[in-house]
Amino acid sequence: MIRMVARRLAASGLSILILVTLVFFMAHLTPGGPAYSILGLKANATSVAQLNARLGLNQPLLQQYGLWWWHLAHGQLGYSYLLNRPVGALLWRYELNTLLLYALAISLSTFLSILLGLAQGVYFGRWPARFIGAFQLGFYALPPFFVAAMLVLWTCVRRRWLPASGMVNLRLAHPGLASYAAHLVLPVITVTLFTTAPLSRYFGEAVHEELARDYVRTARAKGVGFTAILFTHVLRNALRPLVTMLGLSFPYIFTGGVIVESVFNYPGLGWLMWRSALAQDYPILIAIVLVIGLLTVLGNLLADVVNGLLDPRASYE
Amino acid sequence: MSAVLRVENLSAALPRGGRDVPILDGLNLTINAGEMLALVGESGSGKTVAALSIMRLLPPGARLSGNIWLGGQNLTQRPESALRRVRGRDAGMVFQNPLAALNPSRTVASQIAEAWRVHNGGGKSTARVLELLGEVGIPNAAARLDDYPHQFSGGQRQRVLLAMALACSPKLLIADEPTSGLDPLIARQIMELIARLRRELNMGVLFVTHDLSVVEAHADAVQVLYAGKSVEWGSAKQFFAHPRHPYSEALLGAVARVGQARLHNIPGSLPEPESRPPGCRFAPRCAFRQPDCEAAFPPPSQFGATTAACFYPRPVRDRPAGAETFSTAPPRTFPPQLQVRNLTVRYKGKSGWLRAATAPPSLLDASFALGRGECLGVVGESGSGKSTLGRAVLQMLPYEGQVLLEDTDLATLRGTAGRARRRRLQLVFQDPRESMNPRLRIGEIIAEPLRLQGQLSQAQLRENVETLLRRVGLNAQLAGLYPGSLSGGQAQRVAIARALAASPDIIVLDEPTSSLDVSTQAMLLNLLKDLAAAQALSYILISHDFAVVSYMASRIAVLHEGRIVEMNDTKTLIAAPRHAYTAQLIAAAPQPRGG
Repeated sequence: MIRMVARRLAASGLSILILVTLVFFMAHLTPGGPAYSILGLKANATSVAQLNARLGLNQPLLQQYGLWWWHLAHGQLGYSYLLNRPVGALLWRYELNTLLLYALAISLSTFLSILLGLAQGVYFGRWPARFIGAFQLGFYALPPFFVAAMLVLWTCVRRRWLPASGMVNLRLAHPGLASYAAHLVLPVITVTLFTTAPLSRYFGEAVHEELARDYVRTARAKGVGFTAILFTHVLRNALRPLVTMLGLSFPYIFTGGVIVESVFNYPGLGWLMWRSALAQDYPILIAIVLVIGLLTVLGNLLADVVNGLLDPRASYE
Repeated sequence: MSAVLRVENLSAALPRGGRDVPILDGLNLTINAGEMLALVGESGSGKTVAALSIMRLLPPGARLSGNIWLGGQNLTQRPESALRRVRGRDAGMVFQNPLAALNPSRTVASQIAEAWRVHNGGGKSTARVLELLGEVGIPNAAARLDDYPHQFSGGQRQRVLLAMALACSPKLLIADEPTSGLDPLIARQIMELIARLRRELNMGVLFVTHDLSVVEAHADAVQVLYAGKSVEWGSAKQFFAHPRHPYSEALLGAVARVGQARLHNIPGSLPEPESRPPGCRFAPRCAFRQPDCEAAFPPPSQFGATTAACFYPRPVRDRPAGAETFSTAPPRTFPPQLQVRNLTVRYKGKSGWLRAATAPPSLLDASFALGRGECLGVVGESGSGKSTLGRAVLQMLPYEGQVLLEDTDLATLRGTAGRARRRRLQLVFQDPRESMNPRLRIGEIIAEPLRLQGQLSQAQLRENVETLLRRVGLNAQLAGLYPGSLSGGQAQRVAIARALAASPDIIVLDEPTSSLDVSTQAMLLNLLKDLAAAQALSYILISHDFAVVSYMASRIAVLHEGRIVEMNDTKTLIAAPRHAYTAQLIAAAPQPRGG
């Protein structure tokens, strides 16, 4: 198993190299530049050139590219042009916020997906399953920013139950846990709704498929009750596609996160990425792409490892 | 003797296409303690539905009527909660295809223990599992408790399934085709195991099968189903000596047996449940039918220990119908066509970065010759390398050694010449439907090799396709259908027509009949025999069924662990096998019926 992990990581190195290279050149080839974000749109040409020279942006692109890897090899991700702080530390702070949000949301949606999927698989073709199916399709089709905006409108603007944006109430000198929790409610609900729809659908299909297998009939012939069959036989086999989906949805979660985090002004990685892209803050942008690439690889790897534990037949070869 | 199971007037209907279609019609049977009843029928006869109805395991929506008396309860009248207590405790069941019937992600021990714990509560289950595994003959059971189903061989998986069914010492065992899909030697062991256990545990056994020869040695009673209705039932001894219903007789005659001269196939095919004839359901295919057969279903007529539902049962004769007539033709000599020299195939094993693959060869040093118009049988168990041999001859695998077609080494030919030469070797697979593109019509499937050969007009193509279909005994109108709507036997005939379309000299038949019912198998084997005689076709017939090979082949090569351990002409091989493995294979095959 360790050999499998090592081999997969080695193979993924190339994918990440290509990804980072592509984003580096695409970002640098877009017109404008960070100088205008820093100096304002009315800045004159001489001050822009001066700033570019100071940031090293007047050098040939290939040299800048090489320098980026040179710095990475020494553990440096560079400085943000706009915020003038080291990218590594900045990413770490924002990443913790994102992790808090997504750890909660993904745990919740996995739990809900298993519940809904079990019901959908058991009642396949009957009205409870159709009802769940309609819910899934609805949330699959709705744009996240719209739902997020509606939630803000109902619970923050009309009723003032919950804070509409940010991560903590800035007026408080020592914000307590309750303040963090209240700010997390809406983003977590939004992300959960959108990840539960596809996850529960896949899991429901898997449960339905597994229930039709021969070993279920064998268990019934032994006299095992239906609930016991569902939890001791079917669940484990049906979890495999769900785990694969969870692993594959790492990048989806991050791109979806950009929208949710910007609607709620939540200071997470997606929000930072959005702001940096607008400001053409190259070092942050590329570092975030690198992180997304790494997370994608790790997500897939994790899914394979978990599936290997779920299915004794997997041989990793 | 006390009855363990009494089934009275059991009928079952399943929803199909929006309405209930009767599958099983008024089944009556009684099984006593320690008795084995064989429920025999071809696919579509309703035998599996009968077995599942008794356990009340039919899919939701099925309608059931009649009485099933088991352990003092009428199961058709009991709620699901009561049935759950009956299943596994009063009646155990084993299924076909044990790999699918076991949960792949739970250990064998936990699955057997579950069967015990469901009815007896926790505790002592490991001891019981070990006892059960020993009873069904799993060697070194204590070391295998934590193994998963995929780590067992096919025969062992069936033993595990049997251990599970026996966990609570049920009074009745229902076995649904437990031996089909297994190698004959293994199937025989499983059959003997079930027969022994039923005597030791004084257990009634309902043995469901499509192959009469499987139960010939062990069944106490037989019941033959045809299109959902029982046509003949009674003592097995008398049944096998004198089958009285024309269908029973035909079914017995269709079983391939060692050294048989001619198989008797049944014309026509089983009617669909939606379109069963009003009178005797077998009448349209019966050789002895009279006008009144089609008017009403015949009443049972008893004679001795068996009863047949037939107006005109076959008379009892001294010598059973279809008794063996050994082929008396002298061995023929064939002009040489194909030469295979020192054929060796090694599959690539797991290789590291530094060490090369060192897997044992799948086929080692096979040499043989095939004459024009000859049929060479290749027989062996799964994993013996017989399919590998066929594929290497067809140039579908890299191999060492030589394959010479009329003194030309096929491996040396390149480009158009090589392709043209290779087209003279064709292949028919085991599962005909898997080998056809489901999105192509039958006509297009057969026309494909014709198109590859050269420019033919649409009209010529259609004409050739129709000729080919007729030659394999199919209606030319089938050309417009898709493979999904064919029966197994029809699909295999289409596969043969496709092979014939390339006008080959040699056809490699890889288990051509092992997914078919016995009567369909007989029909197909006879068709292949007739085709060979009519156009000097040569076959390499690959099968694990010795009886089938001995029926078709003039010479037989016995493969064991990748080597040809014995090769001789069929008659000599049967009369005097020189290798112990050959003798075992012959003994496990259906023997000729008394004559």
